[in-house]
Amino acid sequence: MDKEPSKKDNQNQEQGDQANNSSLVQKIQQLGQSNVAQAPDSNIHVLSIIGQIEGHVQLPAQNKTTKYEHMLPQIIAVEQNPKIEGLIILLNTVGGDVEAGLALSEMIASMSKPTVSIVLGGGHSIGVPIAVSADYSFIAPTATMTIHPIRLNGLVIGVPQTFEYMDKMQDRVIDFVVRHSNMPEDKFKELMFAKGNLTRDIGTNVIGTDAVEYGLIDGVGGVSKAMMKVNELINNNQGPENQVIQ
Amino acid sequence: MILYTPLSETDIFPSSDKDFQKRQCASHNGRQVYVEETQDGQYQLLQLLSTDPQDFMNPDYTPGTMLR
Repeated sequence: MDKEPSKKDNQNQEQGDQANNSSLVQKIQQLGQSNVAQAPDSNIHVLSIIGQIEGHVQLPAQNKTTKYEHMLPQIIAVEQNPKIEGLIILLNTVGGDVEAGLALSEMIASMSKPTVSIVLGGGHSIGVPIAVSADYSFIAPTATMTIHPIRLNGLVIGVPQTFEYMDKMQDRVIDFVVRHSNMPEDKFKELMFAKGNLTRDIGTNVIGTDAVEYGLIDGVGGVSKAMMKVNELINNNQGPENQVIQ
Repeated sequence: MILYTPLSETDIFPSSDKDFQKRQCASHNGRQVYVEETQDGQYQLLQLLSTDPQDFMNPDYTPGTMLR
């Protein structure tokens, strides 16, 4: 009588061990590590905008893309969830669709909760308005941002009309950046149409500290500074009525 | 083979629609995930679409996990 249950237990344990082993092997294969650290719930959420900003056309499968139809509902979810108090936006993008990028920028800019962006690696082209759309922006010292006129590839029907349209679209990008950063419009345009900085192209590649000097980005820094800033903004956002009276 | 061209690789070798059909966005335990169907009909997690940093700490949602 005593033996049977223990045998069953052993079997169960063996099965459990097998399941554990296979998941462990899978973890080691995928991540090169067996366990990840656990931490308490976070009141700050993270939105990563990585790879190309995908617009109306789906890019080939090998491209790493940020799809705005995935991002927009997430921004709404962060805005309406009372447990979430702040948002950090991680940027490492080469740019992409102008209107998808502007949509993301406007959504971030119109949030009521504190937002802080960090440009890591690169925040090029349409990454510039996304970076400045946050309440406060940081750039890693080694990160770069390329400012250049907008471009179009593919078939164009009606060249003069398309040109007008593109010109207006470029003005929208410039307007947005000027409205949400400390950079004067003429300086931004000067960098956008500068010759000689990008070998045979027009535009400027702005690196970390330079972006801060121009007033495009608010500060040079990484994770710790961004976390400090978002916590500071959360405290300011709560106002005196919500604070504990001591 | 060496290609010397200003065109992008995908302009010359367009990716097939099959690659797209295998990938889809799905909801798994209330979290949005981007998955790829493997040859044996299982779904492998490609990307977790979440803003909660704790979700990325959850070992069940590491990229490459087979979803059930």
